[in-house]
Amino acid sequence: MIEEPYRWVEAIANRREYIEAQLASGSPITALGYGDGILFLTVGQTRQKIFEIYDRIAMGAIGHPGDIERLRMAAIELASTEGFTRSAGDVSLRRLVHYSLSPVMKSAFEQVYGPPYLARMLFAEVGERPSEDLFLRVEYDGEIATKGATYAQVRQDFAVLSGTRQSGELMEAFLKSQHAADASFEATLNSALEAWSIGHMSLQDSDSNELPERTAVVKYRQEQLANRGIEAALLERDASRAIRFRSLPDTELRSLIND
Amino acid sequence: MERSPVAVDQNFSGATGDFPALLRSKGLLASAVIAPTQDAGTPQKVWQPTEATTILAFKFSGGVLVAGDRRATAGNTVVYDRADKVLEIDRHSIMAIAGVPATAWEMARVLEHSFQYFRRTQLQEMSVDGKVRALSKLLRDNFGFVMQGVGVVVPIFATYDSHPKPETRLYFYDAMGAQFEATDYAATGSGSPAVRGILYYENNWGAKPLHKLSEDEAVSIALRALDTAAESDTSTGGVDRMGRIYPIIKIVSREGITTFPENKIAAVFKETVA
Repeated sequence: MIEEPYRWVEAIANRREYIEAQLASGSPITALGYGDGILFLTVGQTRQKIFEIYDRIAMGAIGHPGDIERLRMAAIELASTEGFTRSAGDVSLRRLVHYSLSPVMKSAFEQVYGPPYLARMLFAEVGERPSEDLFLRVEYDGEIATKGATYAQVRQDFAVLSGTRQSGELMEAFLKSQHAADASFEATLNSALEAWSIGHMSLQDSDSNELPERTAVVKYRQEQLANRGIEAALLERDASRAIRFRSLPDTELRSLIND
Repeated sequence: MERSPVAVDQNFSGATGDFPALLRSKGLLASAVIAPTQDAGTPQKVWQPTEATTILAFKFSGGVLVAGDRRATAGNTVVYDRADKVLEIDRHSIMAIAGVPATAWEMARVLEHSFQYFRRTQLQEMSVDGKVRALSKLLRDNFGFVMQGVGVVVPIFATYDSHPKPETRLYFYDAMGAQFEATDYAATGSGSPAVRGILYYENNWGAKPLHKLSEDEAVSIALRALDTAAESDTSTGGVDRMGRIYPIIKIVSREGITTFPENKIAAVFKETVA
C-alpha cells in the first residue's frame, strides 16, 4: 500500500510534520565569522551541542542525541580518513556535506520503513580570510542551506540553527543588520548572545514575527544567563597551528558581555 | 547492496575512538601480523637491526630535550642529509625515530591522527598512558615486517603529563613494542652506545646532573653527544660543519613544544663544541 505514490507522499508529509515537532524546542546555535575566526555559541544546555569535527571544521546540532552522535561520528570518520590518506588540506566541508552526509540523510528520510535522522546540523569551516569561510546547514531530509561561498547569492558571514523556521529567520534578520565580518571578538560575542536571545524568545512565543525591542532582548538575555551557562567554541583563523578548534569556557566570556 | 559512504553501523570504530582499527576496516593500514616466509632452500634471514641513526632525549631543568641527527642512509649510501627524525605528534608529545623512515613516518602519522581522532570522537584527551600504549601497539603490529627484515622502528616518546602530577615523561621502546620509562635519559639508533656512555657519565660525574642543566648547557651536551656518535658511526650525521647542517633539537615542557632555532644551535656549537 505504501508503494502507491499517493501513500508515499502522505507518509513523507507525516514524517516531516513529526520531525519538525520533535525539533521545535531545539535551542538556537549561532556561528559568526569575524576577523580572527568563527565563533560558535549557544546557551545553557544539559548536553554538549558544539563539536570539533576536524582541524578547520566544527559542528553544532539540535535533535535526538543518538542521531546527532551517529552523524557526528560519521563526519569525524570521513574527515579523519581523508586527512590521513591525503592531507589535512584535502578535507573539505563542501565535499563532506554534499557528497557524504546529505545523500545518506535524504535516503534515510525517504525510506519510510526505516528511521529518519532526527537532527538538524550547522557546520562551519574557517578559511584563510573571512571571505573564504563556509557555513552549511543540513536538514534532517538532507537539504543543504549555504551561507557564504555560494555561487549566486549574496554571502553572509554567519549562519544560525534553531528549532523553528521563524526563530531562525528572526535571528538572521537581526544578524544581517548587526553583524559585520570585520567586527571585534567582543562585538561578535555580544551579537551572538543577542541573536540567541531573539531566537530563544521566538521559540517561547511563536506568535510574533517581528524582532523584539532591544531592551526586552537584553532583559531576556540577563535572565537566561543568570542561571544558565554559555557554551562556545572558536575556529581560529591563525594559521600557525593546524588545529583551529578551541572551546571557550563560560568564565572567559562573562566579563566581555555588555549590559 | 552497495555500502553507504557513511557508516551507520552501531559497531563501527567511532564508538571506541580506535583510529588504527578504522583504517584497517577500510584497508588503509597493513594488516597486523605477516608471518615470516620460510623457504627450505635458503637459510632463514636473520633479523638485523638497521636502525641507522642517532636519537637522544634527556630531562633537564626546562623539560625534556629531544635531539636527532639529520642523516638518512641506505646501506653505505647517504640518501638525505636533512631528514627530520624528531616529529611532533600533538601539542605536548614528540616521537623521535630510529629505523626505516617509510615505516616510522607512517607510524607517526597514524599516531598523530589516533590521538586527535580519540579526542574528537570521545570528547576527552587521551591519557598519557593511553598514548604510550598506542605507540606500543603500533610497534607490536609492525613486528611481522620486522621479522621479514623490513620496517624496523625503534622510537623514543617524550610528553608532558598534567595528570596526576604535572611532569615531563620520557619513554623508549624496543622493536617489539615493549615500553620502558626513562628516569633521566634515553638513546636509540646505531650511534646510541656512544651517546648512552656520555649521558651516563655526565649524569653521574659531570659538572651537574642532567636534570639540573640550563637550556644552553643541555643543548651543548646534546651536540657533543651527537658529534661523538658521528665520529665512529657512519650512519649518524652529527654536525655537518661544511654544509652547516645542525641536528634537530626540540624541547617539551608544560607550555608545549619549542623547536630550538638553528641560529642558536649554531651559536652554542661554535662556543662549546667546535
